[in-house]
Amino acid sequence: MMRITVKGIGVTGGFGCGVADLALALEGGVGRVTELTVPSAGGELRLPAFRAETGRLEEFVPKRTLRRIDHYSKMGLLGAYLALQDGGVLGSDLSRMGVVVASGYGATATTFAFLDSIIGDGDICASPTHFANSVHNSAAANISIMLGAKGPSLTVSQFDMSVPSALVSARQWLAEGRVDTVLFGAIDELSDLIGYLQHRRRGPQQHRAISPLAFERESSIIGEGAAFLLLTAKDSGPAYCTIDAVETGSLYRGKLSLPHDALMLLGADGRKELGDRYLDTVPGRSRVACYAPIYGSMPAGAAFDLAAAALVLQNGKAYPIPGAAGCGMDGIAVPLETERVCSLRLAGSHEYASLTMSRG
Amino acid sequence: MTHPWPVAITGLGCICAAGTDLARCMESLYGGRRAPEASTRFTSSHPTRFPVFEVPGFAEPPELLRTSALGLHAAREALADAGLDLETLRGLRVGVCVGTTVGSAMNNEPFCRDYRAGLDPDLEPIERIMRSNPAAAIAREFELTGPCQTVVNACASGTDAVGLAASWIRGGICDLAIAGGADELGRITYNGFISLMITDDSPCKPFDKNRKGLNLGEGAGMLVLESEELRSRRGVRARSYLLGYGSACDAHHLTAPKPDGEGLRYAIAEALSCCGTPAEAVSFVNAHGTGTPDNDRVESRVLADLLPGVPFLSTKGYTGHTLGAAGAIEAVFTVACLERGMIPGSAGFSTADPDLGGTPVQACTGISGTVALSESLAFGGNNSVILLGKRGAA
Repeated sequence: MMRITVKGIGVTGGFGCGVADLALALEGGVGRVTELTVPSAGGELRLPAFRAETGRLEEFVPKRTLRRIDHYSKMGLLGAYLALQDGGVLGSDLSRMGVVVASGYGATATTFAFLDSIIGDGDICASPTHFANSVHNSAAANISIMLGAKGPSLTVSQFDMSVPSALVSARQWLAEGRVDTVLFGAIDELSDLIGYLQHRRRGPQQHRAISPLAFERESSIIGEGAAFLLLTAKDSGPAYCTIDAVETGSLYRGKLSLPHDALMLLGADGRKELGDRYLDTVPGRSRVACYAPIYGSMPAGAAFDLAAAALVLQNGKAYPIPGAAGCGMDGIAVPLETERVCSLRLAGSHEYASLTMSRG
Repeated sequence: MTHPWPVAITGLGCICAAGTDLARCMESLYGGRRAPEASTRFTSSHPTRFPVFEVPGFAEPPELLRTSALGLHAAREALADAGLDLETLRGLRVGVCVGTTVGSAMNNEPFCRDYRAGLDPDLEPIERIMRSNPAAAIAREFELTGPCQTVVNACASGTDAVGLAASWIRGGICDLAIAGGADELGRITYNGFISLMITDDSPCKPFDKNRKGLNLGEGAGMLVLESEELRSRRGVRARSYLLGYGSACDAHHLTAPKPDGEGLRYAIAEALSCCGTPAEAVSFVNAHGTGTPDNDRVESRVLADLLPGVPFLSTKGYTGHTLGAAGAIEAVFTVACLERGMIPGSAGFSTADPDLGGTPVQACTGISGTVALSESLAFGGNNSVILLGKRGAA
């Protein structure tokens, strides 16, 4: 399989904005949990949440230009600009660049705002602006428009498997020489309804931190943000790491084959229903890490895992798991040298993705 | 490792307003039959009742979104056409790549209405969305183990899904792929397109001087793509081949095509280049042809420039605009037309528009070539094109 090189990282999330903030948060092992207030039948709900800021976008795009762009696209734009800047190609010719965006739920606030326009004011008052921006590929479109990127553009929405699934196609674009680089990212957004669904589906949210390896209890905390990587098939020049293998699909029979010499970076994010699957899937004695406590529970978390893995490989040392003490698996509690990382994500009863990365 | 083009197409399936399987659809197309009407499935307080193209008599099971049920229906037909049963599929690494626009959207109107009213609505509509991701629903139904992807590139989703699945086959990521698109009609897209003022209040008229916009439709189209190695081993015939795929973004506007059609031009050129197919080899174009003033102007002018004199048509006059399913349904129709050596008339067209680059075919027309293009233009500026035809046709 062709190896992909990670040349740049652009992130915004609950930990802050930019790769330096992410590295600091990983080193400190602390996530910045704030609150999301949503209406409900029983009164206002105050849920723990990881919120993302987009103020730094004005470093790249005039404020006036951003007036009609929603929070979802702004997060994507900021991640995109930061990844290009980090990769040293901001302002370069991007005609041979593809754009790939993965999202579990798309522009949820705008989608609900469109529904609100119908529910509140009647069908004839449906908002054309909200409708146009609620389309799943709106962020990818805004990124292409702002950057003048005229290569292929792809948006994938596969819930928890959006990121690894999209990476399969991004890698093929590079393998086929369809593009020279891919601006690959993931975005998920918080909104009233996403918060309300978290409350209804997962019960009262009393905890203030995700305990990803305490599989016997629910500890998920919803998050939002964007994580972008600048990918290329060429491996010259400085780079974070390489992505060596992308395996994704469903497992109905047999066991998943995973590398034995790699640090297992689990996508576990506090959702109780996936605990048994992780316990059954991860080989015994594996060295395990989990960084969802830094950025929260969301489908786009898989892209944050890739960014975290890239930093681990660049540094040659894995960060301790936030709150690792007392965890149910052999989670690392101190910095650990490693040259390979396998990012493992499980979803539903059968879906899996394992992305193997190395220092290159 | 990347295998060269082409990629074999061994099975086809289709369901839309024109028919509940491919044979019935083609009968409607060649017979010039279409029947857009006001929706029977939903109501609207909008004073005008815009016609839509519904699939008559199709009922989805309660546990699935209609979109996914339509996709499964077309997938079953395509698998049967390819001579594939569950036992055979379980011995293969099979991928699923499906385009949609509404199939993965968290936008259940009754749920949101109740929530907004301060109630605690039943979660079942949300759980149904969560288990109905169109590609995942097909993979789960047939216990498929390969990569699974739901493409949400707006109205180009179906075309992109077919092109991307071919890429997976070429890359050795899977032996076989079920690729296509699926979308259902609903109040949200209905009101959304009306709000954009690009919907016709009469049957749509693609490429006509008096066109006023699109009519929405619903349905699904699915293709079975196979590696040559697997096809040879199974000893099955290819109905056609995917000879190329091109995709490019206008980077111009969220909902309008770039006036000079730059992205579409690039996508056509890229699709032709995959097998080195000369433009002169293209025998017809199944155009996007929505019936909106902007789309038809840009598309016809690009075709006039790049493929002068090549017959083109829009099949949306028979199906409506099925959004994320459109590219896949039209790919299936394109293969069927190549096999038959005939294309149907472009329904709804009657008056030439001097502002356009040409006029579509108006009646069933014989074609002698073996290669055809199917193209999609979408919100977000996505332009996607696939080239279909016989192996070695270029």
